[in-house]
Amino acid sequence: MKQGHLHPSTRFLRELVQIFSELGFEVYESPEVDSEWYNFDALNIPSNHPARDVQDTFWLKDGRVLRTHTSNGQVRYGETHKPPIKIIIPGRCYRNEATDATHETTFNQLEGLCIDKKVTVANLFATLDQIINKIYSGKVEYRIRPHHYSFVEPGYDVDIKVGNKWRELLGSGMVHPTVLKNMGIDPEKYSGFAFGLGFDRMILNKHNIEDIRLLLSGDLRFLRQF
Amino acid sequence: MKYLFSWLKEYYQTEKSPEEVAADITHLGTEIESIGGVQIDDKVTVAKILEVKPHPNADRLQIARITTGEGELEVVCGAPNIEAGQLVPYASVGAKMADFEVKEVEIRGVKSPGMLLSERELGISDEHEGIKILENVEVGEKVSAYLNSDPVLEAEVTPNRGDVLSHFGLSRDLAAQEKSIEKPVLDLKESGGKASDFVLVEIKTEKCPLYLARVIKGVKIGPSPADLKAKLEAVGAKSINNIVDATNFVMLDLGHPLHAFDAGKIQDKKIIISEIEQETEVVSLDGAPRALLPEMMVICDAKRPVAIAGIMGLKNSEVDDETTDIILEAAVFDAKSTRKSVKELSLQTEASYRFERGVDTAGTEYAINKAAQMIQELAGGEILEGVVQAGEVEKPHEVKIEYERINDLAGVEYGKEEVDKTLTNLGFKVKNGLAEVPSWRHDIFAWEDLVEEVIRMSGLERLKPVAISKSNKPEPTDYFKKEKIKDYLKEFGLDEVSNYSFLSDEDVIAAKIDPKDLIEVANPVQEENRYLRNSLVPGLLKDITKNPSFDDIEIFEIGNVFLKEKEETNLAIVTSGKSARKVGEILKSFCEKFSVPESVFKVYDIDREELKRFKIKKPNVSVAEVRLSSVDSTAIPESGKAAILHRKPTGTDLEGDEPSRLSGAGVSLGEILPKLKFENLDLKVKDCAIQYREVSKFPPVKRDLSFIVDEKTTLNDVKKEILSATKFAFLVEAFDEFQDKRFGEGKKNVAFHVWLQDLQKTMSDETADEQISKIIDSLQKKFQAELRS
Repeated sequence: MKQGHLHPSTRFLRELVQIFSELGFEVYESPEVDSEWYNFDALNIPSNHPARDVQDTFWLKDGRVLRTHTSNGQVRYGETHKPPIKIIIPGRCYRNEATDATHETTFNQLEGLCIDKKVTVANLFATLDQIINKIYSGKVEYRIRPHHYSFVEPGYDVDIKVGNKWRELLGSGMVHPTVLKNMGIDPEKYSGFAFGLGFDRMILNKHNIEDIRLLLSGDLRFLRQF
Repeated sequence: MKYLFSWLKEYYQTEKSPEEVAADITHLGTEIESIGGVQIDDKVTVAKILEVKPHPNADRLQIARITTGEGELEVVCGAPNIEAGQLVPYASVGAKMADFEVKEVEIRGVKSPGMLLSERELGISDEHEGIKILENVEVGEKVSAYLNSDPVLEAEVTPNRGDVLSHFGLSRDLAAQEKSIEKPVLDLKESGGKASDFVLVEIKTEKCPLYLARVIKGVKIGPSPADLKAKLEAVGAKSINNIVDATNFVMLDLGHPLHAFDAGKIQDKKIIISEIEQETEVVSLDGAPRALLPEMMVICDAKRPVAIAGIMGLKNSEVDDETTDIILEAAVFDAKSTRKSVKELSLQTEASYRFERGVDTAGTEYAINKAAQMIQELAGGEILEGVVQAGEVEKPHEVKIEYERINDLAGVEYGKEEVDKTLTNLGFKVKNGLAEVPSWRHDIFAWEDLVEEVIRMSGLERLKPVAISKSNKPEPTDYFKKEKIKDYLKEFGLDEVSNYSFLSDEDVIAAKIDPKDLIEVANPVQEENRYLRNSLVPGLLKDITKNPSFDDIEIFEIGNVFLKEKEETNLAIVTSGKSARKVGEILKSFCEKFSVPESVFKVYDIDREELKRFKIKKPNVSVAEVRLSSVDSTAIPESGKAAILHRKPTGTDLEGDEPSRLSGAGVSLGEILPKLKFENLDLKVKDCAIQYREVSKFPPVKRDLSFIVDEKTTLNDVKKEILSATKFAFLVEAFDEFQDKRFGEGKKNVAFHVWLQDLQKTMSDETADEQISKIIDSLQKKFQAELRS
């Protein structure tokens, strides 16, 4: 009789995985504790570059980091696999800051990576269009605007309209040639796109949840509603 | 950065509205996050109060007879501060204010065509006690002519675009959609001898490729004129004096940070750019003592440092009220070196922010000339002849334009001419398939970087989406297996929780974990993020304490844990409560289902001492943990191995204690994921309608209800009806459903736990009773449900 409950993040991630599986993306998981190399340098984010300031990183005493994005799996996967590559990397990421109702140290991200011959920006936009329409059943207005991430070139952000405000949904772009080289993939022959979406905020919006900290609160009054 | 709309328009001529320009900027890659400044509707005009009379039907209201310049009318006003003769802002019907539109209303029987406005209603401040009284204005004029400020666009500039960190820079990017723009020609009047006879500049470090100095003699320090002050303040810069303001203005205008020294304080009139050799104590312009470390780049005079290069000047050479002669600096400081000093000093300034992102090397001379001209205009004095220069302007580099590959990567057919034109508008010099990169762009190294420029300048709408080639549904990976385990445990009645990956000192003590076994965070902002968990159990035990509203708790978590040398994915189950099942029972069924021996789990009861340490009041706590799989982890760098701290938690002494049973370290758990047998790995994505209700800060009460209903009525129907009957119910769980002859043909018994809460206060029994009656009533109406207990 008694029914248990799955965590809302589990449920939501399954919906995402389902969507990507249908598009042919495999699920790959990368470690949460990683080296500076995989989390930053391999992704073209050198230590002396202001791009590092965008992240508040948890540094560990042994010199490693808690990953700031699941993009740490990009080069790991690329090193051991040949194109065509089509993966998503879901998982926990970390940001070293004080928490409140809208800020969390611990959040979920889903990274996507697609590398093959002649992958184009037009392919990226088509894929983004497909997934956004699937996630929101076509009922959302979105815009794509140029943005900068060190590990892509060119880079784009996608915003969705919530009320009358634009809210950032995901970051994306064409995999930077330096990153392809770090994977051992020849940028003269192959190109690819990558995107990363933090899906906790999507869960909050979907259910009108007031405080992001509820997700990791262990409060069964919250969890048993899902 | 904040941009003043009118300032942008000095360089970028446009008829577009601030909103339209903001949208253009965003589409070019610099997101405008907000548009600030005051915009008052043109329907708000200056009126003169001719007479104030009491409202016939309300003591607190008055009637003001006013003239608007076009005629007289009467408006109702609630503010006490109005008097005949005052000039006030009057909003006529239809005027759009920030939060409302003015309509003709009747207030207590008196018509009011429009209204008089307070500062808050005008949108210029929070003041709302009285009507805004205007001075030195003409009746009938638009109030916007007096009170409007310029729109201020606030932008998030990405770290690769140092070139747009100025009004000219952003205008240049905007204008490049059609053409390239040039800086206006300066009119510099030099006199009084050669600057090079007055000051000597020498570079002694590779970190400064170019240093320019100018000398202005006989200036008079004073405050800046009001319009300059207003301009600076509108974009968030503080006005200091005419000299400093001129340098700040040029930085905001052109993006080049400048510095002014009091020449009288520069010993031997020598400017030497060098690196610190040994740690030196100095006082920076903000009055703070700073320890300069070896290798930091500084500007020195003959004897001592006078500025931290690219970051901030020092107090010892500050321009003050007595200053008459000025040495003006415009230089290029290496980005990496500046960034290093910023980090070491924890001192970021507007100047360092720009040097870290790269400045326009070839524009340095124009910047110093503009500042010199402006200083002369504001403070008088003579600009000595010539610029004193050390170092060289960096030579531009070229990038090959791979026209075909640009099209291939974009997925659009751009013509060669179009690509050339776009790049030329952006300031590239295009010749024979090569593009010479403009001196202000530090983010262009290869043809891939040109793709972005072409796409953004020609508009994203040019890209017609093309779907990627179809591929087969991939083979399920470990992720799917973990989801199957979750499904099984959920079906078995367990709740999934997700806890933080961290342990605090307190957790470590409660769980009796030896911190030697833990990975420690080097820079936690919050205390609770000190260590990484090496077991899921402490978090799950804490969850028991966090849930006093539930008698029985059966929870599990699948998550990563962190041992010194490896990362693993674990599953842990914790149960507690009088009627809760022991984990042994759960594991038995689990292991049967997936064909693994129960011995792979580490199972233990928690003793009284441990309960106390975790502040658990519930009886019957049992725990199991197992390793599902190892994670493909990364090696610890050699340098980090030595840094691992061997320390004890504060406030406890572990010596002599036996190692904790809660610690994951040293426990030999088998990896079971590869051994589990799954029938199929399809994901269960059931979208049952979830009606989430906010969780109260105050404790809920639980009531049990059972009803006789028609056998066709589903549990979910009843649950939904209970939730819609009262907003106090937030959790409804069925716990029984059975048929029996005594209920009658086609009837069944259903039973529910219902949790009720009040968002404002602790739920009282009285309110709970009321809500329960409401639920009973509505179930009766909807399903003819008959209450049993």
